[in-house]
Amino acid sequence: MTRLHHLLAAPLACLLLVFFGVPLVLVVTVSFFDFDQFDIIPTFVLTNYLELFGSSLTYSLYANTVKYAVIVWALTLVIGFTVSYFLVFHVRPFLLQLALFLVCTVPFWTSNVIRMISWIPFLGRNGIFNQSLIALGIVDQPLEFLLFSDFAVVIAYVHLFSLFMIVPIFNSMARIDPAVIEAAVDAGAGRFRVIREIVVPLSKTGIAMGSIFVVALVMGDFFVVKIMSGGQSASVVLAMSNEIAVLQYPPAAASAVVLLLVVTAMVVGILRIVDVRRELAG
Amino acid sequence: MSGEIELRNLTKRFDQTVAVDAINLKIPHGSYCCLLGPSGCGKTTILRMIAGHETPTEGDVWIGGESVVGLAPAGRGTAMMFQNYALFPHLSVLDNVAFNLKMRGVRKAERHRRARELLAQVRLDRFADRMPSQLSGGQQQRVALSRALITKPRVLLLDEPLSALDEFLRLQMRGELRRMQKELGITFVHVTHTQLEAIAVADLVVVMDQGRIEQAGSAREIYTLPVSAYVARFMGGQNVLAGKVASVAGGFATLVGDTGERFSSPLSGQTVAEGDMLHCCVRRDRVKLERDRRPPGAPPERTNAVVGAVHAIEYQGSYVKVTIDVPGREPFVANVADGRFFADPVDIGDPVLAWWAPEDVHLLTGGLGRSVRVTTFRQAGDSHG
Repeated sequence: MTRLHHLLAAPLACLLLVFFGVPLVLVVTVSFFDFDQFDIIPTFVLTNYLELFGSSLTYSLYANTVKYAVIVWALTLVIGFTVSYFLVFHVRPFLLQLALFLVCTVPFWTSNVIRMISWIPFLGRNGIFNQSLIALGIVDQPLEFLLFSDFAVVIAYVHLFSLFMIVPIFNSMARIDPAVIEAAVDAGAGRFRVIREIVVPLSKTGIAMGSIFVVALVMGDFFVVKIMSGGQSASVVLAMSNEIAVLQYPPAAASAVVLLLVVTAMVVGILRIVDVRRELAG
Repeated sequence: MSGEIELRNLTKRFDQTVAVDAINLKIPHGSYCCLLGPSGCGKTTILRMIAGHETPTEGDVWIGGESVVGLAPAGRGTAMMFQNYALFPHLSVLDNVAFNLKMRGVRKAERHRRARELLAQVRLDRFADRMPSQLSGGQQQRVALSRALITKPRVLLLDEPLSALDEFLRLQMRGELRRMQKELGITFVHVTHTQLEAIAVADLVVVMDQGRIEQAGSAREIYTLPVSAYVARFMGGQNVLAGKVASVAGGFATLVGDTGERFSSPLSGQTVAEGDMLHCCVRRDRVKLERDRRPPGAPPERTNAVVGAVHAIEYQGSYVKVTIDVPGREPFVANVADGRFFADPVDIGDPVLAWWAPEDVHLLTGGLGRSVRVTTFRQAGDSHG
């Protein structure tokens, strides 16, 4: 490494230090502080962590959040894979493929909040969906589980995060040499054999990247859970935001550190299965 | 199972373009057939229709006495080796070779054993656990070949198998392919745009142009007895001359060119009439060269000669390729044996007389009637080989 190398890396290193390194150190530090009703007391105590791990609420929060993450991951994976597969292998010519891919991004031209809240008049007790069902004579009573429920939370997540799965999988799939697929067909593989033996393994990188995005986004969310569950459900970060609302920074910081470690472990787990760096280089 | 292939009136249209135009061809079992033509002539489309990766618009493909149109690629007894090999990048060399057996439900131990056997035959057993990207081009090609051969197909289809290799490996591998075909005794259909490659390996060379077969025959036939100016020009090794038939007598036809030269050619059973516009060709290696000491611009007095100035001289080892600018004609090439050339070497710009014996002339009366088309190709004789 020469001095020039260091110099070229310096701007990014500074940015990372200021916007990532310093806040992280701050959060870790505060997580060991003590507090009372009015003040944060800079000392070194483990009570924040002890209380966190001692409370059964923590575990049920994590169970609930992981449950969301797993369901949403599975659904977005199926949607992301199917949409990408259709776009890459069934849509010709290339320009139409590109156009339809851009159509996938249209919902993202408006804000997350609007997109999520627009589900409320649709799914509500007297919403469009229930009214349609009643008008068609399919149900007599409006369905109650549609809004302010786990169902609503999952729908909103899937709607918000599917694109994060579609984009990387589409990218991986588009790079598969069509001749390789033809070679598999030549070898006697049917459509599903081709998907299993060729398309899925060669889309692994995209699947891994999409999974990281979706899992990290769901694990770190509190707003969707709060609005779409109507306050009936909670997530790790929602609890954290409640603590911050009453100015209990040290326990919130401890909770943040633990969440960071959990999400990091999940990401490492995914990267263990798929070596993203090797696949990107190759 | 016979690997005889028969194409009957085979046609493929993409939208409005005709890629393959009503082709009829019989490839005998156990022969090595090369489909040869410039890019876009439809040769790869034919190969893909035989393989089952493309459906004919019209016509039929028969393999071993049965129509295979509508059958899946794996149900035809054919195997294809793809251009750039199309190895599975996520599978080891061993799994690549064993893939066909996996699709046929062969157990892992058994398919690995057979794949190893095949890899040993191409001396790649050491690389069984490598990934394809860790192999050289020549090694990848041998893996692709093993992968195609593991199911013991009756027909092997090769799409430009040598084009991704460097010159040295290409020459080595084409001999290897020929040897393998002889050993296996199955039908090889090899698509190429390289003339010397085709005539080096094939029993049957099929020269194509614009979706049609211009000439099909043995390598020697194609090279020495082309049916049309197109084939003669495309294969190289020949000078093509045009003229009007002035007389037909004693088994010879005499043609007169625009600039007054006279060419005499044996009829060898072909019928021509006085007044026909015809092409004939003369082999480059049968042309004799001497200095032209007459006043410049005078047409040659003798029959079967052209005069012009030397345009280029290329030393080729055993012979010297001399290109002559003949006014009003396409460049004329004489391949002069090196000993004869260096006995009295001519230089660029020197006026020369090129002449040849009537027996070395061949009339071009066949083909598809597009023989007057003036197209210049990268000719086989222009590259080393």
